[in-house]
This record gives sequence, structure tokens and C-alpha cells, in this order.
Amino acid sequence: MKNLLEKFFGKSAKGIAVEGKLMTGYAEVAGREVCVFGTCDGTYIDNAAALRLAAHVIDCIENHRKSPIVMLVDSAGQEPNRTAEMLGLASYFGHLLSCLQLARQNGHKLITVATGKAIGGAFICYGMFGDRIDALDSASVGLMPIEAMSAVTKIPASTLEKLSKTMPSLEFGAKPFALLGGVEEVWSEKDDFATKLASAIASATTDDNRAALGKKRGGRKLALDVRNRVLAETAK
Amino acid sequence: MSCSNLFHEQTARQRIASLVDPGSFTEFLPPPARVMSPYLPQLDIPVSFDDGIVIGRAKLGGTPLYLAAQVGQFVGGAVGEVHGAKLTGIIKASARDSIPCVFIAESGGVRLHEGSSGEIAISEAMRAVFECRAKRVPTIAVIGADIGAYGGMGILSTCCDFRIMTEHGRLGISGPIVIEKWMGKQAYDSSNRALVWKTSGGKTKFLLGDADLLADDDAASVGAAIKKLLSKSAPLTIKSVKARQQELEKRLKTFGKTTDPDAIWKVLGIKNVAEASLATATEFTALAKRK
Amino acid sequence: MEKFVKAFPSKPLTWPRGKQWALAGVVGSGNLEVLFERNPKTTDQMDCHVESSIPGYKDSWLAALGDFASNYPVGGTKVTIHDQGADPIVVTFRLRQAYDHLLKKTT
Repeated sequence: MKNLLEKFFGKSAKGIAVEGKLMTGYAEVAGREVCVFGTCDGTYIDNAAALRLAAHVIDCIENHRKSPIVMLVDSAGQEPNRTAEMLGLASYFGHLLSCLQLARQNGHKLITVATGKAIGGAFICYGMFGDRIDALDSASVGLMPIEAMSAVTKIPASTLEKLSKTMPSLEFGAKPFALLGGVEEVWSEKDDFATKLASAIASATTDDNRAALGKKRGGRKLALDVRNRVLAETAK
Repeated sequence: MSCSNLFHEQTARQRIASLVDPGSFTEFLPPPARVMSPYLPQLDIPVSFDDGIVIGRAKLGGTPLYLAAQVGQFVGGAVGEVHGAKLTGIIKASARDSIPCVFIAESGGVRLHEGSSGEIAISEAMRAVFECRAKRVPTIAVIGADIGAYGGMGILSTCCDFRIMTEHGRLGISGPIVIEKWMGKQAYDSSNRALVWKTSGGKTKFLLGDADLLADDDAASVGAAIKKLLSKSAPLTIKSVKARQQELEKRLKTFGKTTDPDAIWKVLGIKNVAEASLATATEFTALAKRK
Repeated sequence: MEKFVKAFPSKPLTWPRGKQWALAGVVGSGNLEVLFERNPKTTDQMDCHVESSIPGYKDSWLAALGDFASNYPVGGTKVTIHDQGADPIVVTFRLRQAYDHLLKKTT
């Protein structure tokens, strides 16, 4: 983990505390302070984890005015657990997202890099909320792998495999996810992460461009047009 | 069946018809427009004219609102590319026109058959919800169907200003069957309906504060609850998120080791759990020790 | 998936003013949705487009639709059906329900 953080933040990575499978702290990118938080080792995010990350975002809003927030994602999702559900895990995730939205409204740019697993609910509950979302090409990005999809839908994996050649939505990984517009740029392991991150921060805007990107890249052809049709019809 | 007055038994279209002012509903991308999933036919699964979500504009007690209602019967109300784009479109229209958005949820989450497209669609809908909230345009989730709001739709509901639930509605991320598979039948017996509803149902969520209002299982009661919230919003401020942080920390500290929902009910003011289980929304609201 | 198109003779429908379409039912297990629309190309037949997830029941479909077209004046309509294994009785019921919606003054 330490090595990876140093690839992003150089010596300033020492400002990031790794406790359990969560990391929170402040570091520097291109000489400018950034707030950093994230998950590692594909950990599950539970109620307590969501609260810890939310507390860090609140601290950033209160004490680190307009610092960009860098979110690193390596989480397999939420662990199915009855007590977690009973206490309202969805509300804990909603709270984390609300904190991030408040940060956005207060001028903090939100940058996501999927470094490992970025699967289902774990990606939705913070990383996918970024203004700009990038991923390492080795990251496992997507709803679920084809075998899992096959097990739940009872559709043979071979059928899904074949369809995924023309439907990147069914494929699993950073590259197909980028074709859908869900990831802006896929980084190679050889890239200079610090430089990449600096340019990601510089280019991030608060517009959600994912549907437009998905259409342009051809992986998600309908989302933008359908949304725009609704907007046109409601404007009549 | 088609003439049921019970909210949880109604279809999406029936719910809208029985909620809003008569004759006030205009549907966008209606069935004849045939804006349907391109994925399902390739998997040999039947399509639906509205792709499982009815969107439109209507009036409630004279107040204009935008509406989205999910069709739980169709692939579990799950969110695919088109379904999600319709949802995002109507929420963005709310933000643009400063007209409240009421979202009647009935969904297990992402439509697995459409893979990651549905996942991104829910994330886009979330951004749209927060676009409304930044402009103080009310967003209200109504959860009153057995399928409830699960997965990404559960999370999306918690991003709205307010949630109205009936005791039939369920709010969560992982459903009981998934948890039973994961933890074993001893930890969670998904066929134990009472336990399932006490874990994720409207009454427990209302006690905890995750549902803002509890309504009875009929359109009149749900409609009255919506009317109470239409002119309100819950803006995000540093004060509001810090208060929520404290509330959720306290909840985790108090109940984090609890597996028994009845224990939560008791701490939150319900003396007679059996009686309260049968109470109407009004009676239950009076019993609950909230704020 | 069973898919077919077939026209059935029927007496002309008198369209209620302002009405362009009517829908009944939902796509779900054992259920179906039926959409009635105007078909300006004809006045004396009901054009049917059926998609069913259960193959092999075309004869039952033809019988149910043919009966409906001869029992009700639905000439000049296009009927589209998305079916997920509904019983014949449900098919007839939904057709009738959609027809009733069509003749109602308001949607």
C-alpha cells in the first residue's frame, strides 16, 4: 500500500494514515495540498467505515478550504450483513455521498482513481461520485464479473461472454467501463501517477459528462439521447 | 388485482393515477414511444414499452411535481440503461424547472442483464438528485412496495431530501436472500417475513429516522405525506452533515452489537412491540420517541 | 421467444376524441402488457404484433385474438403485446381492459 501511495504522492504520502483497510489523510500533488481517502486490499465497506470516511470529508471541508479530494478505490463492496442492514447501511452510504456533495458545493474538486477492486456498491458509494474518475488498467471495475452475473441471472456464461464482445456493459474491467463513459481515462502501470493525478485534478469539472462520453465512445449509446428526449419533452 | 386500493399491490401506473389530481398526469416517453431496452431481446427476455419506469408531470393538491414510478413486476423494477436515463432525465428536469421530484421506488437495484450500464445510470441519477438539492428543489422517495428499494436504488433513496415509507416498504442494500447465502440461515432466515420486515421495513426505518414520514398502505395516506413535504427541502450544510454524522455514530454505538430488531424498537420508545406491529401509521408515529 | 404479426377482420372502432392509445397489464411472470394504438391504414381490421417469452402457443394466441376481433369493434387499431407466459384467460382479460381504457373519456 505504501508503495502505491508513494507513486501518487511521493514523500507527502507520509501524511496518509492507513488504519485497517482504510486510509485518510492529506498529501501533496504538484506542490498543492490534497485531501486523500480510500480503501485498500479489496476490503468491504461497512457502517463504521462509511462514517470514518465521511468524518474525513467533513474535516476537509471545515479545515482545508477548497483542497481537491482524491478518492482511491479498492473495495469489493458491502458485506451482506443483517445488523448492518437493520441499522441502515444505505443511509450511511447516503451520508458519505452527501458529505462529498457538500464538498463539491464548497469548491472541492473530487477525483477518483480506481486502484484495485471497484465493484458494485463499493464504487457507487463514493468513487463513482467523483467529478473526474480514472482507473488503473489492472483495476477490477464494473458491476460484477461475467461468472457472477451468469450465476444470478441463470444465463449461460458463454452467452454473456459472446454478447460482451459487442456490449461492453457486460464486460468487466477498467477499459470496458471507460467505453461506457464511467471512467474518463485508464492509466497504465508505467505511467507517472503523480503527473497523471495532477492533470486529472486540473481538468476536472463539476459537470457529469459520463453519458456524453459513453455515447462518444460507443459503449453506452442510449443514455444521453434518452435523457435529452426527456429534457426536451418536459420543456414543451 | 387491477382495482386494488392497497398501495403495495398497485402497479406503477395505478399508484400514479390514485395519487395525483384527476386528469393532471402527462407521461413523457409514453408506451407508444417504445423507448425500450436494447439488451433484453438479445438475452431472449421480453421487453416492456416503458422499460419498467413511468415518468411524467402531474399536480398534487394543485402543486405541480415531476414523478417517476418503477414497475416492480418488470425484471424486479431493476435499473437498466434506458430505465436509468428516463429517471435521470426527469430528476434533471426537476432541477431545471425548480419543480419537486417524487420518486416511487420499487426496485432491486441495478438490472444485472445490462451490466455496468445500469450501475452508471444509478450514479448519474444520484448526481441529478444532488443537483436538485443544491438548488433546494425537493426530492422525495416513496417506498411502499414489497420489493422496496434495494442495492443502488436503496442508496439513491437515501440521497433524496426525504423518504416516505409504508410498513410494506423496505429500504436496504443487500436483500435477505443474499444475506442468508452469505451469513447462513441461522443469522438471517429470509423466509421469516416478520424478521425481514423488522430488519428493513418502514416502521423500523421510521424509528431510526431514515424514513421521515410513515404512511398507511393507501394512496390517500401516501399523498397526504407527500403534500406535507412538497414545500420543504433539507439543504446540505456543514451543520446538517455534522448533525447527521453524530446521529449515525450514536446509532452504531447504541445498536451495533444488536441482532434483535425488537431491542431497537424498545429503546426507541415502543413499549409493546406486538401491539405496535399492528398499529396504523398515525398510531405508530405517536408511539415513536423521535426528535 | 415467439414473435408473429397477424391481422384479424373487425368492425370499425369509433375512436373517442383525443385518445391515441391505451395500455393494460405489465410484463411480469404470468402476465403481459397490451397496447392499443390507432392504425390509420385500415378501418376494418385489428393488426396484432405479439412477442411471447414462451414459444409454441401460436394457435392459442390466434384463437384468442381472433375471438376478440370478432366480439368487439376494434377495426383500425394496432395491438402490440409483450407476454411473459400469461394464461389465455389473462390474455382475454387484458385485451378487454385495454379496450375499456381506450373508450374511457380521460386517461
